[in-house]
Amino acid sequence: MKKKLLVLTLLIMVVFVLSACSSQRQNRRPDDNTLYVGSVQTSFPTSFMPWLSREGIAPTIASMLYNTLFSYDEETGLFNPIIGKEWYYVDDDGNPIVTEEGIIDYDRLEAIYGDPSRQYLAVKVIIHDNITWSDGVPLTVEDIYYSFDIGTNHLLSNHAGALAWTSDLRHNYTNGVLTRQGLFTYENGAAQQGYTIAEEDKDTVIYMHVNKVLGSVMPLFSSLLILPKHIWEPVVSPENQLNSASPTEETLYRYQNPVGSGPYVIDTERSGSQQIVLHRRDDYHLKKDDGSPLFNIETVNLILYQEINVAIYALLKGHIDVLDTAVSSNYLRLFEQEEEILISNAPGTFVQTLVLNVNPVNSERNPIRDLLRENEFRKAIALAINQDNLIENVLNGAGIPVSPGLMRASMTEIYNPHADRLPSDHQERLAEANAILDRFVPDKDSAGYRLLDGERVSFNILGHPGEQDVISYLEIQLQKIGIEVNYAAKGSQPETTFLYTSRFDMTLQGVIFSLSNVDIMYRAHFSALGRTSNYGRLVNPELNQKINTMRTTLNLNTKYTLIQEIQPLIADEFYKIPLYTSNVISVARTDRFTGYQVVDGATIFNNATLQNLVRVKEE
Amino acid sequence: MKKSYVIKRILYSIFVFGIVMTLNFFIPRIGVEDPAERYYPPQGNMSDIEYEIIKQVTRQQYGFDVSTWQQYLNYLTGLMEGNLGTSFRSGSPAVTDLIVDRLPWTLVLSVSTLLIGLIAGILFGVIAAMKRGRWQDTTLLNASTIMVALPGFFIALILSFYLGFEFEIFPAYTDPNMVSNFDWSLSAIQTVAENAALPVLSMAVGSIIGYAQGTRNAVIAVTNEDFILTAKAKGLKQNTIRYKHTLRNSMLPIVTSLGMSISGLIGGQVVIEQIFNWNGMGTLFLEANNMNDYPLMMGIMLLLSGFTILAILITDLIYVLLDPRVTVGDKR
Repeated sequence: MKKKLLVLTLLIMVVFVLSACSSQRQNRRPDDNTLYVGSVQTSFPTSFMPWLSREGIAPTIASMLYNTLFSYDEETGLFNPIIGKEWYYVDDDGNPIVTEEGIIDYDRLEAIYGDPSRQYLAVKVIIHDNITWSDGVPLTVEDIYYSFDIGTNHLLSNHAGALAWTSDLRHNYTNGVLTRQGLFTYENGAAQQGYTIAEEDKDTVIYMHVNKVLGSVMPLFSSLLILPKHIWEPVVSPENQLNSASPTEETLYRYQNPVGSGPYVIDTERSGSQQIVLHRRDDYHLKKDDGSPLFNIETVNLILYQEINVAIYALLKGHIDVLDTAVSSNYLRLFEQEEEILISNAPGTFVQTLVLNVNPVNSERNPIRDLLRENEFRKAIALAINQDNLIENVLNGAGIPVSPGLMRASMTEIYNPHADRLPSDHQERLAEANAILDRFVPDKDSAGYRLLDGERVSFNILGHPGEQDVISYLEIQLQKIGIEVNYAAKGSQPETTFLYTSRFDMTLQGVIFSLSNVDIMYRAHFSALGRTSNYGRLVNPELNQKINTMRTTLNLNTKYTLIQEIQPLIADEFYKIPLYTSNVISVARTDRFTGYQVVDGATIFNNATLQNLVRVKEE
Repeated sequence: MKKSYVIKRILYSIFVFGIVMTLNFFIPRIGVEDPAERYYPPQGNMSDIEYEIIKQVTRQQYGFDVSTWQQYLNYLTGLMEGNLGTSFRSGSPAVTDLIVDRLPWTLVLSVSTLLIGLIAGILFGVIAAMKRGRWQDTTLLNASTIMVALPGFFIALILSFYLGFEFEIFPAYTDPNMVSNFDWSLSAIQTVAENAALPVLSMAVGSIIGYAQGTRNAVIAVTNEDFILTAKAKGLKQNTIRYKHTLRNSMLPIVTSLGMSISGLIGGQVVIEQIFNWNGMGTLFLEANNMNDYPLMMGIMLLLSGFTILAILITDLIYVLLDPRVTVGDKR
């Protein structure tokens, strides 16, 4: 009996294994018109309400399903049409403030709005008249009004991003009551405000009042994804917020079956926790010049991989066409041997910096940390850091050095090449650094480290486990000037644990400064104190004043000049010392599609690629 | 089995579970002044006023706007009603729903691994013990030495690369349509078997060797007992001695390992599930951790702890069945 049982069990095991082996492995890319995209994530979202998109790939998908008013072109400094067709600053009568060539007339803008008694800038936006939501309902300015309006009303929406993006809109609610109106359409008070909108334009013209800062329109135009009023208004209430923690079934259905205005729609039948399938909308309002669809790819199939090595093998073995995730430069050699693999080594936009705690709160001060309060001491650290060496060793050469002004050289309009005032020869830099430190801490221990009152000058650098190699190389570089640094784990809540409370010596921090974000980011990184990215609590009145003037000027040319003037001030503080900008390395197969586009700061799976890819046999 | 012993063990388990529930509530709150900050971590481009508004509404939504003790009472009340709370993830799904979605898939892997490991492990262990000092025994000892040195994720990656990607014998990772297309049809079950093959194999290798090693040692120890010598002297058949006397009496350590394995059944194997894209409890926990979703983390931890306590209780009771001499805490 026992033998029979044993044999039966073994038989079941054999059948199990054989059945697993029996079927032929299916073609992993069966559809010729589908782009198979590997995505390395912990999970895929199941809700597609764009304002809830907090995790992983959700923002990427949201931007394919929904649209903003415009997209911002960092190179030209212009807004490209999406939902919006054109926009202007306007005078009190709603007339555009533009030159004869149709571009913004900054002199007139200053003349009209420069008066301190003027509280806001008035902006007119005209949207395309042929846009429909994916359910066929026309998109009008009432949808724009609804989206901005609900973004400011935290009784109906508690979305941090929306609140931040609309913070420069002078349209405010207090406890659910509109206390100041800053949005005007034909149906919502335009005439009362003195803005004339013809009846035939009632669906396409909206006026906005924004704070008197040129950058005010930036997040409104290019960050906030527009929501369909006809979908959300019927279900959203103070009891059932837009992002309710206990959504009703009806709301949940809307989260999971999105209606957007973007170029793709989600195939809810085929999408799930392991894959997301998106189909191109043929009625998308933006087309190529020849009238063909703007996006060449008909279907995008995003496949979840939770482990990067598995995703890379899946690409190498032809299970997918492209990886949407940046890969480490350690994999470069592996890809270089493959004929059908395209490596995109796109210039990065993210600057890795070493942030010093220059002004800790009193309770966190100590004699060694106080050394970082000295500008000259910080300069010595900056001199000892060799960006080329870090790029070669940490990034395998896949990166570029960054100016101490922290602006990328590719930002030609605003980059100041004279911000870097330190010598370029590294031996010279080390000699200067040691000379400086000999004035502060001349004594050394037997290992060559400097001593302050008999104690070794040693600092901890906060970082994530993946940043240990950078810190190891910094340890070697700073050892040359007798300063010891060690890795210290940042943990999952570094802001509240260490950074906002001054409980750190140094930390690694990635920063991106560009024309589109300097208004917010310069303040957050160098000026504001408290819960901001100014972790080391830098206080520099001259820098603060320049940042403030830059933010508030109504003349774009003046703004550019001020941004250039700010960079040497930042560099001379030696507060956020640049380490490198790493390239964004991503990979794709070229056996089925060609025409991948390399975009700064992005992986090869990007909007431009989706617009340009063509099937190989069609070439 | 002594009735008083059973009651004592059950009461003790309930007491431990009570402590676990309490710790499960308070531990995630250590070091966090405001749980709403876990939901919305501070963001650099937001003013303090805006951030405070966000946190205030979040506190109301998730019930953080009352005292910690009141939250604790609400938490206990929710648990009594089978409510593990609301996840922080988009769409605010119930923690219970998320767990119910994932648990069956983890059970597919863990139960298969347990059965294969147990059956093959005991079989190989008995063979090694019976052939002590011969190649069967040496092979097992060497294999267990190698297994100690090889981490599970390494075995999984090797199996995925060779049996999955290179030779294409099994799927290298889970078919993305497997879960959404599952409908209890024969082909759907076959798809699950196909996709489960490598993860199960990855986990079963260690499990088989673990059980085999344990069985071998136990069988050898029992074989040297006097009662086995007596049985032999009585002229009992070899198979009767082997299966009725030796194997049965070797089961105590196996039952202990089995109890511990059962407690791990629902936890899933984070790394194995991650490598094979298996949508189970392990990856759910990883997602919760990555998203700072601590209602979900609390829910999973509570379930795991509860299941572990239950498994230990059952193991202890089986122990008494197998060996009536066992009376834990019996003061003489």
